[in-house]
Amino acid sequence: MPVEIPKDNWPGAVRTITLGATAAEGGSRRQVVTVGGAKSLPFLHFEAIHPYRPVIALEIRDRRPDDWSPLLIKTWQEVVDDPASWAQAGEKLGVDLIQLTLSLTKADGSSNTPANAVNVVKAVLAATGLPLLVFGPGQAEVDNELLVAVAEATKGERLVLGICEDKNYRTIVAAALANGHLVSARTPMDVNLAKQLNILIKDMGMPLDRILMDPTTGALGYGIEYGYSVMERLRLAALQGDTMTQFPMIVTPGFEAWKTKEAKVGEGVPAEWGDWEARAIHWESLTTIALLESGADIVVLRHPESIRRIQAAIQELMTQAEPA
Amino acid sequence: MADHVVRFTESGKNVQVPTGSLLSEAARLAGEEIGQPCGGQGRCGRCLVRVEQGTVRSRSSLRIALEDQQAGYVLACQAVVEGDVQVSVPEQEKIERRLTTDRTAQEVGVPVGYQYPRDQTVWRLHVSLKPPDMDDQTDDWSRLQNALRQQHGITILNISLNLLRKIGKVLRTGEWQVTAIVEYQKGEEFRLIDLIPKHVADSQPLWGTAIDIGTTTVTLWLVNLLNGEVAAQVAEYNGQIARGEDVISRIIFASKNNGGQILQDLVLETINSLIERACKRAGIQPETIYKASLAGNSTMMHLLLGIPAESIRLSPFITAVNQPPLMRAVEVGLQLHPEASVDCLPGVASYVGADITAGVLASGMDDSEAIRLFLDVGTNGEIVLGSREWLVTCACSAGPAFEGAGVQDGMRATKGAIEEVWVNTNTFEPTYRVIGGGKPRGVCGSGLISLLAELFLTGVIDKSGNFNLELGTPRVRNGEHGPEYVLAWAEESSHGNDIVITHVDIDNLIRAKAAIYAGFTILADSVGVSLEMAEDVLVGGSFGKYINVEKAVQIGLLPDKPWEQFKFLGNTAVRGAYLALLDRKMRARIAAIAGRMTYLELSADNTFYEAFTSALFLPHTDLSRFPSVADAFALPHV
Repeated sequence: MPVEIPKDNWPGAVRTITLGATAAEGGSRRQVVTVGGAKSLPFLHFEAIHPYRPVIALEIRDRRPDDWSPLLIKTWQEVVDDPASWAQAGEKLGVDLIQLTLSLTKADGSSNTPANAVNVVKAVLAATGLPLLVFGPGQAEVDNELLVAVAEATKGERLVLGICEDKNYRTIVAAALANGHLVSARTPMDVNLAKQLNILIKDMGMPLDRILMDPTTGALGYGIEYGYSVMERLRLAALQGDTMTQFPMIVTPGFEAWKTKEAKVGEGVPAEWGDWEARAIHWESLTTIALLESGADIVVLRHPESIRRIQAAIQELMTQAEPA
Repeated sequence: MADHVVRFTESGKNVQVPTGSLLSEAARLAGEEIGQPCGGQGRCGRCLVRVEQGTVRSRSSLRIALEDQQAGYVLACQAVVEGDVQVSVPEQEKIERRLTTDRTAQEVGVPVGYQYPRDQTVWRLHVSLKPPDMDDQTDDWSRLQNALRQQHGITILNISLNLLRKIGKVLRTGEWQVTAIVEYQKGEEFRLIDLIPKHVADSQPLWGTAIDIGTTTVTLWLVNLLNGEVAAQVAEYNGQIARGEDVISRIIFASKNNGGQILQDLVLETINSLIERACKRAGIQPETIYKASLAGNSTMMHLLLGIPAESIRLSPFITAVNQPPLMRAVEVGLQLHPEASVDCLPGVASYVGADITAGVLASGMDDSEAIRLFLDVGTNGEIVLGSREWLVTCACSAGPAFEGAGVQDGMRATKGAIEEVWVNTNTFEPTYRVIGGGKPRGVCGSGLISLLAELFLTGVIDKSGNFNLELGTPRVRNGEHGPEYVLAWAEESSHGNDIVITHVDIDNLIRAKAAIYAGFTILADSVGVSLEMAEDVLVGGSFGKYINVEKAVQIGLLPDKPWEQFKFLGNTAVRGAYLALLDRKMRARIAAIAGRMTYLELSADNTFYEAFTSALFLPHTDLSRFPSVADAFALPHV
């Protein structure tokens, strides 16, 4: 007797969102990237078609990062001093998106300026054909100052600007709204808070196909279960038809994994922890795999080897099993 | 486009306006004075007019009671002229009385059918004794007992040593004509409270007092036990506030060093000063008060009585006592007659005290056929759902914001408090009503609710409570504690300082309302009853005389139900204490209520936090719970 697998039929779906704009669409990207569209829980291909696969963004900085693991600096070598080359290296690796984080200060220690931020963003845009996400340094006033200038200088590119938070979203949303960009909305691991920030951004008149949500997560061993659960509940709410949770999810496992002691520290740790670099890459890639399973649409990564592994994993997860 | 004539009855003026004009525009053309503090948004209801002839199309009648709508009342700012009409413009104060949302807390009414001495436990009795002589050597105390037995049927009478020391003198001063104050205790037993020389005239009042000891506010009523009339109502912040805003921090304070003593002294000081104030107002002496009934949450009772309260805070949350015995004023430290009877009403559990059992009694829901929802908004929001069949209750910590405390310019609902606010949608300028008229001194709980709703609806704050700093009005500015809104400039206030609401205040208010709303949802879910099933919502609390239902719903404090289902009862705890003070049947009913309430401990409920964060938004993260607020947003211009 054939066994029939029960199928859920959800009333809702994740919104389909396109990042970047080609020349014909008013931007300069060689290709655009579309995410979302899911009508069932991740990778349940027997239940519904998943029109778009999860995508990988490479995290780069506008200058050599001060606080990154030496393993990352060693791997990327001199490109960390030139964001344009760094982005190109990422494109060669086959990532889908570049996520550029602006720093509080320039390499010489002076404060970052809008003019500098615009120059860096333009250089990165010129160096690759991939859609770009630009995040501020994470201090409200500086974020607003830099991102407004960037938004105006790149009008029509459909960049993703971030990070919008409950206490600082108005200026970024207004800048994105006026210049045809998208925004990323981050909330600290809570379904209600995520929904609330989405509502606030919607209330400013932002079209719903220009919002990504970042539910925040923790690395493996550092609260990933909690993050996983929140993402899963957000996705369930979206599928149940709650329009304010139907946004594609972006998460930053690279950032989370590389701040753990296991990834960051190579000396003075127990010998049975094994090889430092192998461990660090495991940490990043395992964290990422779990988040993909919980519904992540965009994962932001740091290490090239993790990227290669996640590319392979996504490929496999998106391959439908042959009907028996 | 056709023109229509609008005629104003009182002034006799006619104006012509094109089809589709608003009545408020016609009124302006005719020079009629119509208040529009909300800026013509249909929110404040101050432009109420009556259409006497013809009809208008009303875009919104949100603020008008059904019977008034049928009588032709419309909001001028929402009434579209589509034909000739005649309109009457009522005087402003008449309007204020008609507005359905300006609910006045119920006036105190003496319970119907109250009969002293049938219902009362404290009696004042005239006693005439036969003077002793060489033949009748009966002692004074036996002589008094015998006379009371013969003249009033009192068989067993108890007396304190203190009183024994003075009866001999009183009997002789009164030349064997005395007045006895006795209290019925139980069975055949009575206790002598006081003995007064001569016969006190029956027309003289016999005094008692009902007291509610709130975490933030203490309320006291001075009552004539003979007829139930309330001679004075006074209230003051609980002196313990400086040692912690909520019960938990009070308990912690009490458990350290001499903390318990300090808190006991502070609350006694507050109560005794209220006794003095009420007595002064009634022109009497505190020593003539013979009975007190006390309501209050379990922690307040423990602290008042000097009973360690530590176990209330620690799992498994057990009180030392839920039903304290009858006590004497001198033992408790109340400055009444030293022998006065002090009755601390019974509570249910650590977090469901006598304030709720008294409140339920005052609300009458324990005797209700239909399911009703009772809410006491105080520092703790206590919620009871049920009927005569069953009662379930929970308590959630709201903090003191709705009592006007813990907020920068908050104050109690007394003279000088802003109790209602409107904000103009276009200019963001406020209009407000001050209790007692005159210049404002601060904002009370109902004013804060009103202000929060207006700031939200006009976009001064977003749904999360963040200020929009880009409105171009000096009213919104960066103050000492972050962004704030100036409700009254220094020159408009009675103390010469700006009256503001800060970002921190707004966060506190949103937390307070979220805690209470989350309590509703959890309680209703726990018994599988939807909030719609409750026939009405009985709201108690001391946050102001006028509570605007619409505003309280808009901020998501109260569930979105039709307005006529809300009944405001004022301070229900003190009213319950008052009923128990007068009537022993009521007192017995409180004990019965305490016995049958089921208590839901929210800290043991893992869905509470979820319900709470989801309510930490204006009005709520799930807007489908608040259809009327969604409608208000859909109104033109809003």
